[in-house]
Amino acid sequence: MDNGSSKPSDAEIVRRVIEGEINAFESLLLRYKDHVLEVVKKHVPYNEVEETAHDVFVRAYQSLSTFKGRSSFKQWLSAIAVRTCYDFWRKRYRSREVPMSSLTEEHQEWLERVVSNRSGQSFDDKASQREARELLDWALDRLSPGDRMVLELVYLEGLSGREAADLLGWTVANVKVRSLRARRRLHNLLA
Amino acid sequence: MKSLKKDYAKLKELLIRAYHEKEKPEVDELWQVRVMSHVRSLGPISSRERYFMLFEQSVWRLVPVTCLLILVLAAFLIKLDLIPDYEMAKLFIDDPLEFIFVEWFGV
Repeated sequence: MDNGSSKPSDAEIVRRVIEGEINAFESLLLRYKDHVLEVVKKHVPYNEVEETAHDVFVRAYQSLSTFKGRSSFKQWLSAIAVRTCYDFWRKRYRSREVPMSSLTEEHQEWLERVVSNRSGQSFDDKASQREARELLDWALDRLSPGDRMVLELVYLEGLSGREAADLLGWTVANVKVRSLRARRRLHNLLA
Repeated sequence: MKSLKKDYAKLKELLIRAYHEKEKPEVDELWQVRVMSHVRSLGPISSRERYFMLFEQSVWRLVPVTCLLILVLAAFLIKLDLIPDYEMAKLFIDDPLEFIFVEWFGV
């Protein structure tokens, strides 16, 4: 008697969903919910993570027919998550006002402390972590959405140009050019 | 110069740490219910959509080949000197009688 202990594969679930068994999609949702949230939280603000992750799964459902099994489902879903985050910033970039503020005094002081390596200042305290995060967000906000995504994937996450290009659906050359440009811009902003 | 590189390296390390230690919100069951509710509202992936997607994928792949074919055919037609034939056909259509006189009597 089959005790049903073996979990169906991702490909099997995808096939069932495509054939009309919509509820089977919930298995994929449960399986990859945490992974998608991990990916999305790195790229969008905290208060937008839930909604963006929601969009990722809806897009994944709509594009399910395009999943051919050439890569793993996790990798395929990661690409959708990254592109959804990119689209989030594109929308925001189009609608926002041009930011005029420069680095705050607090952040400048933090930067000076960090590079001068003053004793007693550890990154482990919550205040320093918060300042570092705010500084990073401030700098990233000044990049175009494309440059931002490439900087995050290549410079901050350490992915190769090829890996980043696959996730974004761009050419490697495009990624490399943007990576160089974004890195320079980041250094100029924080200099 | 060395000191500047060191500063950048230190800063990079801290920024990477800040990036990775970003807080992840916990989503509850209600979030899952909302997602599935949205997915169900879209309905099943219909055969039409499936075939349209497959068709779209195939069509775009054929575009470079089609463009190349058009260029080759155009070059071939120019080489075959079809343009004068077109002019003659136009003459015939515009004034068939005159065309026939020219053809038969060289007038």
